Amino acid sequence: MDRALRTRLERRFGERLTGPVRQRHDETEIRITAADVTEVVRSLHDEPELDFRLLADLCGVDTGDRMQVVYHLWSATTVDWLRVVADGLDRESPRVPSATFLWKGAEWMEREAYDMFGIVFEGNRDLRRIYMPDDYASFPLRKDFHLADDSSRSPGLGVRPMEETLAPADATPATLLRRSGAERA
Amino acid sequence: MTTDARTPNPHAALDDPSVLIEDVVRESIVEAVPIGRTERQAEFYTLRDGEMLLNMGPQHPSTHGVLRVVLKIDGERVVDIDPVIGYLHRGVEKLCENADYHQAICYTDPLEYVSSLFCEWAPVMAFEKLLDVEVPRRAEYIRVLSTELNRVASHALTMGWFALDLGGLTPVLYSFIERDEIMEMLTALTGQKLLFNYMRIGGVNGDLNHEFMSRLGDWMSRAARHIESNQGLLNENEILVRRARGLGILDPETALRMAVTGPNLRASGVPFDVRRAHPYSVFPELDFDIPTRQEGDCLARYLLRIDEIKQSLRIIDRCLHQLPDGPVMARLPRLVRPRPGRAFAAVEGPRGMYAAYVISDGTDQPFRMRIHDPSFVHLQLVGLMTPGNLVADTMAIMASLDPVMGGVDK
Repeated sequence: MDRALRTRLERRFGERLTGPVRQRHDETEIRITAADVTEVVRSLHDEPELDFRLLADLCGVDTGDRMQVVYHLWSATTVDWLRVVADGLDRESPRVPSATFLWKGAEWMEREAYDMFGIVFEGNRDLRRIYMPDDYASFPLRKDFHLADDSSRSPGLGVRPMEETLAPADATPATLLRRSGAERA
Repeated sequence: MTTDARTPNPHAALDDPSVLIEDVVRESIVEAVPIGRTERQAEFYTLRDGEMLLNMGPQHPSTHGVLRVVLKIDGERVVDIDPVIGYLHRGVEKLCENADYHQAICYTDPLEYVSSLFCEWAPVMAFEKLLDVEVPRRAEYIRVLSTELNRVASHALTMGWFALDLGGLTPVLYSFIERDEIMEMLTALTGQKLLFNYMRIGGVNGDLNHEFMSRLGDWMSRAARHIESNQGLLNENEILVRRARGLGILDPETALRMAVTGPNLRASGVPFDVRRAHPYSVFPELDFDIPTRQEGDCLARYLLRIDEIKQSLRIIDRCLHQLPDGPVMARLPRLVRPRPGRAFAAVEGPRGMYAAYVISDGTDQPFRMRIHDPSFVHLQLVGLMTPGNLVADTMAIMASLDPVMGGVDK
């Protein structure tokens, strides 16, 4: 944990952070709104006392009630991984500014997040499906996309709480398959 | 001959000597697909004078698996390139979210079948962070030892593939000798030959055994000499060296902007290696260097991998000398339920940084499991570096970047 980084981040982004800076093990996490992504990421990349020039990962997350885009950054100025969470994206139409103006290599990672979650990255020149076929109509990593086969579910727990609320109590794999088909239409 | 006025010949203009062919073609810039939906697609699928589209793959021998590349070519020159992936997509992330923490490890295993120990290690490290497990030191040493062996096997194969893609068949046969010996060794250790499934949350599946140690000792006594002779076969080969030098140059600034990691980044002169930049496991205790090269061309990327093999041999040697006694597994329940939280872990693999980002919601299954694979990012470089080169150089550049499609397609 790098306490100095925490102070630096709090001083620099103070009012832009939507929650406290969280630190655990070798990770530091900040949360921002989608509207602030461009400016925050640009400052993290450009300013010499932050200097996060290496994009380690970019991914989407569906929490069940909202979407997030998560950036993992590395800098020689700290021993921590920095996690920037663009939080509170509307699940119906998630939109977030693209990071391709800084990291051209984020293009495919954003395409993947679009393909899997339907998150629209404004400013990405090539936002189309990357894994799934072009005419595919669903977003597979969303939490309301159920796998037809639930045999891999561990017997220790049973059905996951979120799916319990979404699926009828007597749902069989076949019902779930039909449900996901109905939601797609 | 008389022409029929009622059914005009659509190609009449082409027969008319007073109309220049170029004018006809210029008037009709061809839309190869019905209007590109993205800016990039519209740009790529609009053909100009003399340009044509050529599909390479998905079953092309030098696309390292099932990759389809749409080349826009003008004669023998590549104008633009559009890699099409997803032929091997298995939805591993979704599968992991529907399996419990122990089961998820074996789903990540076949992601990249050339270096599967690294694909296991990143998620396992993330799980350990979530669970606050302390891994026994002996287990960490065994992990380093086995993964460095895997790195040598992977790099040996890469060198052979590189030559194979440039048209030389011999080196790949020699690199398979090297790889096979290491694979036999790892089979003795893990029980499986390709997809090891060796890492466990809190340690490894089994301790070092006699067969593994004797094979390893035997191999270590001649590994350096073997690699030296394989190297001589290629590095002193005029054809290969002149072909690869100055081809597909990647400058450090662009490499960082393209989020490149691993040997491809270090061949451009950026000394970023997760083992030193963000130390994990027992790497701080081990003595080794991070080789870099300044040229950033195909030859540098190839030569850097040889340098890395030498460093890996050093690490293996150090591991064997420093190997402590003790257990190889932490004590953990069969069913693990980490507290809600998030963890990110990254390891330095033979192709770059493998990373996993795991979110726990307090149940026995990961709520979200993200896997970052370097091959996926590096494949974008083909589109950046190929334009302007010859069609045949596409394969050379791709081979030097060394993507593995299993990892690209997840």
